[in-house]
Amino acid sequence: MGDLSIQDLVVEYSSGGYAVRPLDGFNLDVAAGSLVILLGPSGCGKTTLLSCLGGILQPNAGAIKFGDVDVTSLDARGLSKYRRETVGIVFQAFNLVPSLTALENVMVPLRSAGMSRSAAREKAEQLLARVGLADRVTHRPSDLSGGQQQRVAVARAIALDPPLILADEPTAHLDFIQVEEVLRLIRELASGDRMVVVATHDSRILPLADRVVDLVPDFAESNRPPSTVQLEAGEVLFEEGTMGDCIYVMSQGELEIVRELAGGGEELLWLAEPGDYFGELGPLFHMPRSATARARTDATVIGYTVATFRERLGVGGIRDLIEHRPLDIDESAVTQEPG
Amino acid sequence: MLIAALRDMQWRKRRFVIAILSTAIIFGMTLVLTGLANGFRAEAQRTVDSLGVDVFLVKDGASGPFVGATPFAPVDLRRIASTPGVEAAAPLVYAGGTVTLGDATRNADLFGAPERGPGMPPLSEGRAPITPDEVAVSSTLERNIGEDIQIASRRLHIVGIADNSTALANLPNIFLTTEGAQQLVYGGQGLAASIGIRGTLDQVPAGYKAIDRDGAIADLLRPLKVAVNSITIVAVLLWVVAALIVGSVIYLSALERLRDFAVYKAIGVPTGSIAAGLGLQAIVVALSAVVVGVVLSALLGPIFPMQVIVPAYAYVVLPVIAVVFGLIASATGLHRAVSVDPAMAFGGP
Repeated sequence: MGDLSIQDLVVEYSSGGYAVRPLDGFNLDVAAGSLVILLGPSGCGKTTLLSCLGGILQPNAGAIKFGDVDVTSLDARGLSKYRRETVGIVFQAFNLVPSLTALENVMVPLRSAGMSRSAAREKAEQLLARVGLADRVTHRPSDLSGGQQQRVAVARAIALDPPLILADEPTAHLDFIQVEEVLRLIRELASGDRMVVVATHDSRILPLADRVVDLVPDFAESNRPPSTVQLEAGEVLFEEGTMGDCIYVMSQGELEIVRELAGGGEELLWLAEPGDYFGELGPLFHMPRSATARARTDATVIGYTVATFRERLGVGGIRDLIEHRPLDIDESAVTQEPG
Repeated sequence: MLIAALRDMQWRKRRFVIAILSTAIIFGMTLVLTGLANGFRAEAQRTVDSLGVDVFLVKDGASGPFVGATPFAPVDLRRIASTPGVEAAAPLVYAGGTVTLGDATRNADLFGAPERGPGMPPLSEGRAPITPDEVAVSSTLERNIGEDIQIASRRLHIVGIADNSTALANLPNIFLTTEGAQQLVYGGQGLAASIGIRGTLDQVPAGYKAIDRDGAIADLLRPLKVAVNSITIVAVLLWVVAALIVGSVIYLSALERLRDFAVYKAIGVPTGSIAAGLGLQAIVVALSAVVVGVVLSALLGPIFPMQVIVPAYAYVVLPVIAVVFGLIASATGLHRAVSVDPAMAFGGP
């Protein structure tokens, strides 16, 4: 049907009064017929992106175009039609309707598209045969294995032959034998003009991909010596939502640690003063920064890599770090680095 | 999507069966109560109709020929009987009384009227009383011709049987001659509760009031009015309970299926189809409960010591009201289902 183009996509929601942006200025262009894998840990925005692609979630800003359809400008009726005719979704938890047989589950999108009962039945039988479940048509989901349920979900997703297939963690609940079956099926789906977008944190399936999109670019852990950073008043050390590999200890001056609010503006979480340390959880757990650090006055901070910081802390220090207990930091052997 | 709704009912059949049975019991009780209230009116109508009186003349100020009667001397009887349009006129007596049957006593309605009426009902057995010591009794008194009954201090001889003739919540009717009733009720004075007229009366004589059969029925029902109103209130409350049962079952069904609805929406199933599926469940529950309720009412009715006569219209109105109430009560569940966010389909189990 066409290429996928995502421009400056922003999705923001409120969590405990704070603004959270799983997607902030996201861009992606993919050619028709590709198998794209969205890779990243939980909470990085994979499912949010799939929801936007599937016309289920309206982004706060940005544009999604699939072929000649501007998804972000569709109204409710248009989105329903888009979901029915353009998108097929394979859900993480299979999401088959437990009261319906495999055949009836596959018939749901066919019937809702206006197909007659007999025609829908015939098509559903063909689809189940295609995914290797011809002998399981009358079974309910509870009588099928995880892999078989996922294959029924795939048959349902491709029932109306949509040009875009979205798969959310398709291997999450499968053992390695079942994973093989499903991976083969997913690879087969991305043929001709049909595009398949898979959200996963399972690196086993990366070889399948025509393109891998890492939603949280990781950083390589390094073991460089501590470095001093000089900041002028108002200068930002790091921003909320960015990745970073350093834990900082205040040496001189004051730094504001602020978090963006859902309704606009920001909240001062705390004021870092000499001896305080901050920014430890992001580098430690390879997560984006959860707040912005900005100098209130001219300030000096010392940046430690996680490895260096661990060495300084010694045994049990990591626990003190996670619980943000006061630490005894030795500031000797610190290299100078321009702010 | 309708098949999905029916499949869901199969899937959760135990719950739906319990809901249907619970609702059916309430529908059955509602029908029985409706039948009870209607039974009061039906037996009163049957009694009044059987008297063969077209117009009851009562004294001004009286509210009816039976319960609301003011006894009067029927001095104008001959003049009224000769009025054009009047085929026959007779002094009628009515009173409540107690019948002694061996060691037992029963309340009864006493009617006094001439042998050939107006005011004397057709009898299924025997003949109408001719002398003051003779009576015709309702078959529900379970006495035979030739037996005696005692009312007050008088022993009366049964000469006729009126089939299933009752009033005021299944009390048996007892028919005497006018004179016999006057002896029992008015101590032998020649008073009457009303003048029963067969035919038409163009001009109501001065000092009298004409009451038609509907008015007479209302008068006979007067002592039961409070009871009928109470029954109606209970019936309405039962309707509310039935609606709540249907509504809560559909609401719970909707709550448990939110993920299903989210999936349906996510794969493009129109919201209307989802709502229609839930609505169908409400209709199936309500109609199934009606069917079972009708059967239950037929079984429960005979247990009651009063006449349970379910009017035919109730069988038509019940399913209509049941469906309407069921859908209204399910509105919360429907709203919950159609407003579900399809994004809920994503994420883990």
